[in-house]
Amino acid sequence: MLRHRGEGGGGRVRDGLLRMNTADLPAVAVGGLDRLLDEVSGERMASMVATLAGDAFAGRRVGSTGGAAARAWLGEYLAGLGAEVVVDPFPVRSVPEVYAAPVVTVHDGAAQRHPAFGRQVGLHPASADVPLSRRGRLGVAGAGDPAGVWLVMPDGISLFDAYGHAEHAAGLLLARPVDAHGWQYTMLAGPDPGPLPILCLDPDTHTELLALASTGVGELSANAPIRRPDVPAANLYARFRTGGRGEILLTAHVDGVGDLPGLRQPAAADNASGVAVVCEAARLLAPTLPDGVGLCVALLDAEEVGALGSAHHTTRLARSGTRPMVINVDGAGHLHQAAAVEAGGPAHALLAVLDQAGRHTGVPLAAGPVASDNRRYAAAGLPTVGIGAGMAGYHSPADTPDRVEPGTLTAIARLVIATVWLAAHDNTLGDNR
Amino acid sequence: MSDTTTTGGFAGDPAAALNVAGTSGCCGNPPRATITLPETVSAGPCCGTAAEAEQAGACCGTAAKAEAVASGTGCCG
Repeated sequence: MLRHRGEGGGGRVRDGLLRMNTADLPAVAVGGLDRLLDEVSGERMASMVATLAGDAFAGRRVGSTGGAAARAWLGEYLAGLGAEVVVDPFPVRSVPEVYAAPVVTVHDGAAQRHPAFGRQVGLHPASADVPLSRRGRLGVAGAGDPAGVWLVMPDGISLFDAYGHAEHAAGLLLARPVDAHGWQYTMLAGPDPGPLPILCLDPDTHTELLALASTGVGELSANAPIRRPDVPAANLYARFRTGGRGEILLTAHVDGVGDLPGLRQPAAADNASGVAVVCEAARLLAPTLPDGVGLCVALLDAEEVGALGSAHHTTRLARSGTRPMVINVDGAGHLHQAAAVEAGGPAHALLAVLDQAGRHTGVPLAAGPVASDNRRYAAAGLPTVGIGAGMAGYHSPADTPDRVEPGTLTAIARLVIATVWLAAHDNTLGDNR
Repeated sequence: MSDTTTTGGFAGDPAAALNVAGTSGCCGNPPRATITLPETVSAGPCCGTAAEAEQAGACCGTAAKAEAVASGTGCCG
């Protein structure tokens, strides 16, 4: 059992936190945990990832029919495991939605070409909605009269600085990195839209257009079809067990950035993988936890627009006076050197069992940012850890199920199960320091 | 199983996880293919400076946040 500082035993105290060897656990207890860990199914999780990343769910953007369909499918799945499932709706304002592929044409004086949407050109989330094409000369931001000109922003000029040089401009063109597969990233969260259409260019296209703009012979015609509807969102809560002496909450966001016109963005690692991990952990833990230990899963919506689902959930928890220990999984696709762990709230005891679980399961851990729903729970004062174990694709068409490693799914599920199991078998749940 | 037979768990102080970059902010991780062992730094806004964030009354300064999005490093989520 986990002992606390001053209680002696085989643990090691390091910088205020208890460090334990799994050898400190009674053999019978370790045996029970190990039997549970042996039942973790990477195949089952990979299958769930493939389903959630499938065509039917269309990238699971908040407010989309695909998102609602994924939620319904998961609700049925969790109910089938014996959980009491509740859908908790809430509104989300102004979600960026690219409703058509932008039509972009570069004229270099001799010929014209069309940069590929999603690779060479994309829409910036702060772009104005401009459904009809604007044609104008290419110019360099900060040089010359901007009226009617598509302004290429040189490196080093911020978007807000560019606005200062863009009165009556046709639009702004800014460089943006692409991923290892050449795709632009889709972001839903960001600044409010400005007055101009803004196109993102991959570095090569940006260099080309900057050169054209400098010669004064280039022109560009483009539109920017992006709208921002208010949409309905909903969290899914699945209660497996009622607590009395402690409550554990496993969370993962279901939503993705959504498909773009003509482009599938499956959102497999981010975050179908996290959903699969918490579902698998709950499936195996629910029948085995000690009496009085509560277990709930929250599959959250609207993370990609600023972690609004978890913000909504924390208000629910506060109203009910529930103070669970929270484990959030954001990305379990591609474990490299170590899983990143970010903790918040009174999480010292939780970190101690997480460390012990990591040692027992052989999963290396490292303190590192996990910018996800865990921050909302931590900000609400709940003992929280966020775990991130890598994504081979991120907010792009490259985030496909085949890039989610079953071995990583298994490793993180085992880590989560061991953490919960250890917490449930000692005093950690009632010790939210 | 013991420390000598497993390489799991925190290599350093687990409490460092309570004090990672961006803990107090809302902006997202940079897109990355894999997790590498990060260097731990003190808490603060993930974009721009603490002074800019304070001036904007938000997790990050407005311009810094816009820059983060523009450069593809994201902000929130």
